[in-house]
Amino acid sequence: MIRLAKAMARKDLTLVLARGNGLAQALLLGLLLIFVFSLSREAGQPVTPQEAATVFWLSSAFCQVLVFNRLFALEETGEARLGLLLLPAPIQAVWLGKAIAGFCLLLLAQVCFLPAAVALLGQDLSGPLTEGALALLLVDLGLCAVGALLGALATGQGARESLLSVLFFPLQVPLLLAGIKLGAQTFGLSLPDGPGSWLRMALAFDGVFLGAGLLLFGFLYSGDA
Amino acid sequence: MLHLRDVAKRYGAVPVIRNVTCTIHPGTVHLLLGDNGAGKTTLLRLMARLASPTAGTVEYDPPSRQCAFLGHAGFLYPGLTALENLRFWRDAQRLPKSDAHLLELLDRVGLAAHAHRRAAVFSRGMAQRLSLARVLLQQADILLLDEPGTGLDAASRTLLHDEVKQARDRGAAVVLITHDVAQDVRLADRVLLLRNRTLAYDGDVGGFQEAAA
Amino acid sequence: MPPSPRHIPTGSALAAAGGLALAASQWLVFRHAPVEATMGLTQKIFYIHLPLAWWALASFLVVFAGSILFLLRRNPATDAWCRAACEIGVLLSGLALLTGMLWGRQAWGVWWTWDPRLTTTLVMWFVYAGYLVLRGLDMPAPRKRVACAVLGIAAFCDVPLVFLSARLWRSIHPAVFASKGGGLEPEMKLAVIACTLSMGLLWAGLLALRTGQIAQEERIETLEGLAGQDD
Repeated sequence: MIRLAKAMARKDLTLVLARGNGLAQALLLGLLLIFVFSLSREAGQPVTPQEAATVFWLSSAFCQVLVFNRLFALEETGEARLGLLLLPAPIQAVWLGKAIAGFCLLLLAQVCFLPAAVALLGQDLSGPLTEGALALLLVDLGLCAVGALLGALATGQGARESLLSVLFFPLQVPLLLAGIKLGAQTFGLSLPDGPGSWLRMALAFDGVFLGAGLLLFGFLYSGDA
Repeated sequence: MLHLRDVAKRYGAVPVIRNVTCTIHPGTVHLLLGDNGAGKTTLLRLMARLASPTAGTVEYDPPSRQCAFLGHAGFLYPGLTALENLRFWRDAQRLPKSDAHLLELLDRVGLAAHAHRRAAVFSRGMAQRLSLARVLLQQADILLLDEPGTGLDAASRTLLHDEVKQARDRGAAVVLITHDVAQDVRLADRVLLLRNRTLAYDGDVGGFQEAAA
Repeated sequence: MPPSPRHIPTGSALAAAGGLALAASQWLVFRHAPVEATMGLTQKIFYIHLPLAWWALASFLVVFAGSILFLLRRNPATDAWCRAACEIGVLLSGLALLTGMLWGRQAWGVWWTWDPRLTTTLVMWFVYAGYLVLRGLDMPAPRKRVACAVLGIAAFCDVPLVFLSARLWRSIHPAVFASKGGGLEPEMKLAVIACTLSMGLLWAGLLALRTGQIAQEERIETLEGLAGQDD
């Protein structure tokens, strides 16, 4: 299973990054969101850390939708999905592979979003960085668990991106709230209760959706279509 | 080796096939025939367990048997090169084959010169040959081929026939859907004929030809 | 086993009984229960708001349980129940949101405030409205049923997380209001219970009625499919 997941992730990353226009669309959309939001502040007026963190996670959430939409579209052109179903490995390996590939792509996009948020929204990373990084990884993990499970939902549909956003965003509210609070802390907001409870929230979300992914992905990714 | 018992498949309320009982034997080439819309592709998908029957059972004996499937779409990633495509399916199936072996396979299907070109630029015939290489790579016990000759030129067809014979000789079971009965019947050992959504004939080629005549 | 339209008469009867009972409960609400001292007549919203919210949650629970059952048994009838329950759940939670906003306007002077329960209801409304969007897509029925079942399960697992996170979020802001409910007088309690039970009857009726309608719809589509085939 791990072998197949690795092969899947490697193949997906090759296809997205080395062929075609890669992450360009997701990156541009995210950066545009950050830029447009920066217009909301008057010259000389600061954007609060929480506002900046909200825009950062909004960009990341749109990026997640585009990334997973693309990852699952890869299997459609040559009906490769059927080929994957014939493999002797458990089909959850496909879910894991997509999640890993999505995680790498999302992190890569955030490497661009973060400096953009800092520069355009006038933030500095004055909060605790270790906790910030941990928060980033935990929230990304949750986004990828959801994306890899429900991205398979829209196979063969038109207007998938809008469908996926409509489904993903409300489901991810707890995770996004955690991301925003923890991100705000990294941008210098002090949380009275510390980051502990929000990190636990992100962890709980990850647990629930990783479990759901393992249990439910097989139902979604099947040959009957 | 592969048993179908009372298999039926409906899409919604529309029956596609019903009451199909047959056995696919090792070391045998089965020709699956029938008119357009007779349910050949559906039956092949059921054999591959890509679709679940509405009624009846599809059993592999022993259950660990592997099947290779070549359908209308070749399970290819247009963005990957020919070699990368084969590499992916090799890794996905944990086959202990080297890159040299993959190149040799590409050579066998006449794509050696195109190993590093993306599948997206391949013609229909080239893509089909690449898919054939993918099937050969697997050395599966069961080969399910849905009109594999489509888009192939005469030379490639000969190659296809040779490979099917080789697979049979090493003990694989082959099920072949074809529109070129006159050509492919020479290759076959047994014939399965679908008519009126069920199996109208299941027997050796000789009997089929007599009945047809 | 396909879903059956035989639920339509039962559902109609139940829904009618529920409607009458709900109307009768209004007597308890306006005559029997006293007018609340601080909020006055506005507090009467509570008697309709609480049952709406409760039965909306019950609908989503039905979607959840039905979705699990569907994935295990693949019975289209179970799927029809899920679809009906979700439609009713979205309707009831939407009404609960509206009544909650009316309440908030009177009690706290704002249309909307960050209350964990209100926020959870809104987020769930979004999630299940998304489920209905998925329902409305044009994809093969077996696939759509599985997709909806998976979403139905994932959505309900999300409810506690949404509630906890909404509570956590608020605890950082100063609380703008005291928690509602609290010390109900016996007459009020009776009125709330009567309203909740009548609403339950109406809910069960609507659920059965809608399931029957869906069954009929599917039957017609099947017949159309078969007729098309014979041409």
